[in-house]
Amino acid sequence: MKNFDLIKSPFSKNNSITVQVLGVCSCLAVTAQLKPAVVMALSVTVVVALANLIISLLRNTIPPRIRIIVQLVVVSMLVVLVDQFLKAFVYDVSKQLSVFVGLIITNCIVMGRLEAFAMSNKPLPSLLDGIGNGLGYSVILIALGFVRELLGSGTLWGYPVMERLGLYGIGYENNGLMIMPPMALILVGIIIWIHRTRNKDLCEQ
Amino acid sequence: MAKTFSNRYIFIYSAVLVTVVALILTVVSVSLKPLQERNQQAEQKQMILKTIGVEATRDNADELYAKHITEADGYYQFAGGIVIPLHGTGLWGPIWGYLALNSENTVVGAVFDHKGETPGLGGEIASDKFAARFIGKKMDVQPIRLKKNADKANAYEVDAISGGTMTSNGVTAMLAEAYEDYSNLRKEGQQ
Repeated sequence: MKNFDLIKSPFSKNNSITVQVLGVCSCLAVTAQLKPAVVMALSVTVVVALANLIISLLRNTIPPRIRIIVQLVVVSMLVVLVDQFLKAFVYDVSKQLSVFVGLIITNCIVMGRLEAFAMSNKPLPSLLDGIGNGLGYSVILIALGFVRELLGSGTLWGYPVMERLGLYGIGYENNGLMIMPPMALILVGIIIWIHRTRNKDLCEQ
Repeated sequence: MAKTFSNRYIFIYSAVLVTVVALILTVVSVSLKPLQERNQQAEQKQMILKTIGVEATRDNADELYAKHITEADGYYQFAGGIVIPLHGTGLWGPIWGYLALNSENTVVGAVFDHKGETPGLGGEIASDKFAARFIGKKMDVQPIRLKKNADKANAYEVDAISGGTMTSNGVTAMLAEAYEDYSNLRKEGQQ
């Protein structure tokens, strides 16, 4: 039951974006469309889960004085691997994500989980914690990507939804602000607002 | 947590860790290289086809390319003229592109791309909107230049990107260089 909580809690009371407010930069940058948002979400989940697992396996051998460097080396390795796989198998998406894949290294969620959890917990809980936090991040990214692509470009995963519904014919227009990063910030704000309204204990006094 | 580690342990630990990581990365990089290169080649063909108005997907790029394009001396000939390649440097890294010219050396199609220019600023050179500004411009007696508030009627001026001055300068330099090479080719052709 405790292990299940590790996966579940990042979805709500411990969400890295809406509660810890980590990883916001990439969340604003890659969510103009659904597809890069999903790929970014998966990449971060894979990196944070595997990094948590590897660091947890090594945790008793890592000298505390160089632990941050060791974590960075492991995270960098995983990110380069993800980047290589994206280039080989989903080339277009890797071009769209361009610098943001590399920037997973500096995503605070990854280092945050390593320091806060993997350094002091067994491998299995660490892996689950990584998956949970990655998925918590993913949910927000995908929600943003969905809203922004639908209202900003009138498509979903490249499929012209609004055109098929015939909305342009009756005077509907895409909202250009939706594809700009500031709107992503406003949307994240709205999500945090709703989230806190439903979980009063998260509100600071 | 109170465990202490000697300096010797720390040195050996770092050395082993880094070596293992390097080994893994090398193996993966070498084994994925052929796939990545194939993607890049297909993309290059897609770009060249785009300048002559043929939209290709990654899967049919090879076939369409063979049908429409003949390569000669680093240039690409198509039914209505020639496609010239462009290579240069932007603000953060390489930029490149292709210009399709008709027999009067008027641009009929253009496409640009970049490795890591700032999205939304210099990165805009990869947009269709930017490429469309080149249509109708000329590469005959002088190269096309990017300029702030360019005169739209002038066949040698194209509006630069606001906020992307360094990248725009890179594009201008790249066009000048390509013009140089292309005029040499034309001179050879006349002799």
